[in-house]
Amino acid sequence: MKYFLKKLGLLAFTLFVSVSLNFFLPRLMPGDPARALLDKMDNLQPEQLDTIRAAFGLDTDEPTIVQYGHYLRNTLKGDLGTSFSRFPMPVAEVMRVALPWSIGLMGICTVISFTLGSAIGIAAAWKRETRLASMTVGFFSFVRSFPYFWLGLVFIYFFAFKGRLFPIGGAYTVGVDRGTAAWWLSVLRHGTLPALTICVSSLGAWILTMRNNMINVLAEDYITVALAKGLPLQRIKSMYAAKNAILPSVTGFAMSLGFVIGGGLVTEMVFAYPGIGYMLYQAVNAKDYPLMQAIFLFIAVAVLIANFVADIAVMLLDPRVRDGAK
Amino acid sequence: MADSTMLEVRNLKAGYGTRKGFVRAVDDVSFSLGRGEFLGIAGESGCGKSTLAYAIMRLLRDNARIESGSVLFKDRDFATMPAADVEAHRWTDMAMVFQSAMSALNPVLSIGEQLTDAVHAHRKASAAEAQELAAEMLSLVDINADRLKSYPHQLSGGMKQRVMIAMALILKPDLLIMDEPTTALDVVVQRSIIEKIEDLRSSLGFSVIFITHDLSLLVEISDALAIMYAGEIVERGPAGALFSDPRHPYTRGLMASFPSLTGPLVRMGGIEGSAPDLLAPPPGCRFSARCPFAEQGCREGPSPALRPLGGDRFCACALEGRLR
Amino acid sequence: MIKDFFKTLVSNRKSLAGLCILGFFVLVALFAPVIAPYPPKIDRLETITAIGEPSLDEELVAEDYPSDARDVLTYRSTLTKDYTKTIDYFPLRSRPSAAHPLGTNHAGNDLFSQLVWGTRISLGIGLATGLFVTILSLTLALLSGYLGGVVDDVIGFFTNVMLVIPGLPLMIVIAAYITMKGVLPIVLILGLTGWPYPTRLLRSQVLTLKNRDFVRVSKSLGERTSFVVFREILPNMISIAMAEFFATSMAAILGEATLEFIGLGNVTVVSWGTILFWAQANGALLSGAWWWFLPPGICIALVGTSFVLINFAIDEISNPRLRKR
Repeated sequence: MKYFLKKLGLLAFTLFVSVSLNFFLPRLMPGDPARALLDKMDNLQPEQLDTIRAAFGLDTDEPTIVQYGHYLRNTLKGDLGTSFSRFPMPVAEVMRVALPWSIGLMGICTVISFTLGSAIGIAAAWKRETRLASMTVGFFSFVRSFPYFWLGLVFIYFFAFKGRLFPIGGAYTVGVDRGTAAWWLSVLRHGTLPALTICVSSLGAWILTMRNNMINVLAEDYITVALAKGLPLQRIKSMYAAKNAILPSVTGFAMSLGFVIGGGLVTEMVFAYPGIGYMLYQAVNAKDYPLMQAIFLFIAVAVLIANFVADIAVMLLDPRVRDGAK
Repeated sequence: MADSTMLEVRNLKAGYGTRKGFVRAVDDVSFSLGRGEFLGIAGESGCGKSTLAYAIMRLLRDNARIESGSVLFKDRDFATMPAADVEAHRWTDMAMVFQSAMSALNPVLSIGEQLTDAVHAHRKASAAEAQELAAEMLSLVDINADRLKSYPHQLSGGMKQRVMIAMALILKPDLLIMDEPTTALDVVVQRSIIEKIEDLRSSLGFSVIFITHDLSLLVEISDALAIMYAGEIVERGPAGALFSDPRHPYTRGLMASFPSLTGPLVRMGGIEGSAPDLLAPPPGCRFSARCPFAEQGCREGPSPALRPLGGDRFCACALEGRLR
Repeated sequence: MIKDFFKTLVSNRKSLAGLCILGFFVLVALFAPVIAPYPPKIDRLETITAIGEPSLDEELVAEDYPSDARDVLTYRSTLTKDYTKTIDYFPLRSRPSAAHPLGTNHAGNDLFSQLVWGTRISLGIGLATGLFVTILSLTLALLSGYLGGVVDDVIGFFTNVMLVIPGLPLMIVIAAYITMKGVLPIVLILGLTGWPYPTRLLRSQVLTLKNRDFVRVSKSLGERTSFVVFREILPNMISIAMAEFFATSMAAILGEATLEFIGLGNVTVVSWGTILFWAQANGALLSGAWWWFLPPGICIALVGTSFVLINFAIDEISNPRLRKR
């Protein structure tokens, strides 16, 4: 219980830090980006200018701390401001269109690559003398050094441009009625290459982490004891080795998830996949700061909650954590 | 010892391969053990005593292996037996208690599961039967049966080691090998564990090989003693005789720490220096570099072999008999 | 200590391969002017040929500032009176040929030369960031791990908080706010988002070392803190700190390429990331110009692999369990 509360506290505080970063970043940056932006935008309507002023607290006499209070209150209410580039759409509205695509794509990819990567990692450690194991590990550590977006480009070139097996970008075929079987099929076809990019790139991280954990665990005395007791190998592998090895992997979920999401964002940009990654790309290019901030905040919240869930999973898997002994 | 010999180790050589070469941590070790007998093996850390224990159990893993020699247990050679047979006999015939109970217990399985695991692996038993047996074993080592549901971290160090003993004895083996079972525990707990082992041995009648770096632990309980140095047994014999009259200079050095039992002894003030590199052992007696009595002859030729001194005693010192 | 460390690295097959690849790229970066046939950015070749007799009257004939103020190539020349000036353009978007092994880009720049010159920026930013992050996190880890108490609590808490805030989105947002574009901001952004993980790792190493006997002994003997930290703890952290250095350098090279690819770097500088940015912006992919976008990615991957190989070896050296039988 103490563990749970501690993690809950950390979650709350980290959320607070993310929200505050969003507020203070543009105000602390050298060169006053807001002014620079205003100076650059000549052909804006007066209402748009007002939004920008309001977003950055220009032209108000309120001290920063009062503005901060307003900002916190608005954020809590879910009011994230108005988008510059899609004026006058509220940011929340803009994001709502993009979210399902990203959640679908990245959610599925994260689950697939975590389970598949961990399973391969366990097998690679268990049979680590075999050629296949060392080749798998070697291959994925090589692939891991590719930038996500570049791997996406390569896939597009070979499978979409040369091979014409999959569409080059987008998330569905325009003109097909939404919700029909044909539409779902087009969604699947459009999603394949981005998903492949994310999975292939992130698989390596899970495999290597799990393999190293597993190798460390396999050297533990309790594995020797289990062997000495004559337990079936399958039971040693699952209940003695893997169950222990997966704990640090789940804890390390935090870091890796951040990477996967980051990679997912860039992948969306490459494939013009209409999720929040592609939207972030457009927001960056259009200097649409409120939209950018909201997207950052959303991603941070999603990652934080996923981490919290991982912490709870560790609590259920590890009796030591349950008792607060660790 | 010959009347009911149960275990006979002959010319056992074992060690582990490293990048620089093969480290022979057990070099030509021979001894035998009778039914119900208690053999203490003592030596400094790194002398190969743990490798010996693992070799007897056929538990050497990774880069470690048995080179040659035999481990005859009830007239079958454990050292060369096919792996499947080892699986069948290990834990039912001989079991082991490991150095650190903390790391020898799986942290994410309950004590009960880890105890019954061993039963299920070797016998057809229902869950209830196995559970009952586990509870019975726990009570033998003075732990309440409701502890079956506990996880290792919920037990004290002494309790964990007693659980390990219960786990080792659950299939009623004839031989129990204990590798530094009390090293991680404080003196009072050490004492109680050793008394418990004595108790169980007299009621269940198994033999024990007790490995330790602390010779004083072996004083009261051992029937026989073997002293290991740099991979070799340098002296062995009945415990009483060995304690009252140690012959090998190394044994004398080890005993220097508790003078009350040792009789006439050259004062050595501990043993200075460190054990030789087992990758390339020096010629002659391996102890010669640290031995206060060593002569030129000790540093040449092959390592001196164990010579019988009569009365079941053996000593591997070339100067033996001339030292007093 | 450091010498021993490198000796072991060279004797390990994996790290030797890694060091060779890395060494190759370092040489390419150092000798870029020699290796590259052209400057990174040149969109036309001017040949000025004098005809007629030279005269002693000098007259300024050309003062040319290319439009891009960042790469001022000033052609300022004094010539004789009679001349012809021929302006040759490199072909735009040409396929690989003998003159241009990797073709040319949309502006008629030689892509091979850009790749060679880009090594400087990409590798430089990667290694500089790696060094910056390693020093930063080593300092934090030593402060936190050695001093303990409130300092440790505060540093540890912020490390944990920053650790879970996703790095790339944060990087993108910061980069979008920065009005000054250049190499230094990128190093700063990458560094400021990259410190938490190495700090946590190094801190736990400090804690382990702090409880080792030799450190305890010198503390109880009353050795000065600076002696214990710099002479006893630090030397034992070399291998783990080097591993972190290579890991963060690799992350930095990937991060830099990503930021530049999105267009958040300085797109007028020539690096592997900006080559990819211009390739994407000019539809290299869909015109089948593989020679434009494949080589930079392969270079990034090769450098990354060299770091991974070196780190494999460091892991094996410091964690014997990972060694193969």
